[in-house]
Amino acid sequence: MTTSPSTTDTDLLRQMRSGAADAFAALYRRHQGPLYRFALLRCGSAAIAADVVQEVFMGLLTGRFAFDPLRGQLHAFLFGVARNLILKLDAPRQQPVALADGDEDDDAPELPADDACPLARVLHNEAAEEVRRALSLLAPHYRDVVILYEMHELSYAEIADICQVDIGTVRSRLSRARAALAKRLAAHV
Amino acid sequence: MDIHDEDGLSARFDALRTEMDKLNAPRGVEKELMQAFARQFPRKRRWFERIPAQAWAWTGSLSTIAAAVLVFALTAHAPHPGEIGRSVVARDHGGLFIALDSLERIEREPNPRLVETEVPRTSLAQLGVPLTPENAGKPVKAEMLVAADGQPLALRLSSTH
Repeated sequence: MTTSPSTTDTDLLRQMRSGAADAFAALYRRHQGPLYRFALLRCGSAAIAADVVQEVFMGLLTGRFAFDPLRGQLHAFLFGVARNLILKLDAPRQQPVALADGDEDDDAPELPADDACPLARVLHNEAAEEVRRALSLLAPHYRDVVILYEMHELSYAEIADICQVDIGTVRSRLSRARAALAKRLAAHV
Repeated sequence: MDIHDEDGLSARFDALRTEMDKLNAPRGVEKELMQAFARQFPRKRRWFERIPAQAWAWTGSLSTIAAAVLVFALTAHAPHPGEIGRSVVARDHGGLFIALDSLERIEREPNPRLVETEVPRTSLAQLGVPLTPENAGKPVKAEMLVAADGQPLALRLSSTH
């Protein structure tokens, strides 16, 4: 069995299910980076992001998360699984979100991009660090949309599928999130 | 993308994307996942790996015993060159008496005659006469017992040395 870079995710999955370890490794290496960065930006903790990535692939391996190629691309499916896991982790520490639909006030508490998260230390670029900090202040459902759209360049349809909302909601959330980000970043200038 | 960059966010996101592209999940995650994969799909053992070591020990012991028995049996029953035609070859006054026909036939012959002759040593080797490179070319002096009808009945070798 071969696992060249041109091998599709579906083929790799098929090989993985027949016991090809190199196919599983190829799938992991292909998707772990974007998933990890999504989880890291989304929850602000490197440890939690690593746990999320591990859980996603463990579920893929054991069949707990069943991917149907007819319903979309694997990367979108994996983002969806990762988001759901993060939501479960978020639930205990859920706080009232400031940037609710139709609410322009966005004083959500900043995520713990602290010692547990190397992100702030890694981001030497000032512009990058500013936008990371502004992102962390967005409510989670806005943050999801912005990260998936701006950082991972997913389509509205894919984001709608991942976030389990309709495309119109994706558009409105993205618009409001960008406005909130612009406002916050302008205040820093 | 159909969001216009009126708010100048795109450049900032580009910067963030560039910075974050360096980040990957810790290597330990892949290691743990591959270990989980190995547990999920244990490597199929080949047929001989599925046989327990104790069974291999028994098989080896039995094979050794069987081989020893076989060698013993072959050795015990292998015909010795000197024993070919043992029932028709005998020592007779220092020479070898070789019956060329059955003893009953020889005893029944009413009028046998003796004819002196020489026999090539190589032709007697099958009957147990010693054959060495030195004496292989020398014929053996013999007396041949011949029936009345001319049928050779037996040979007496005067000397096989």
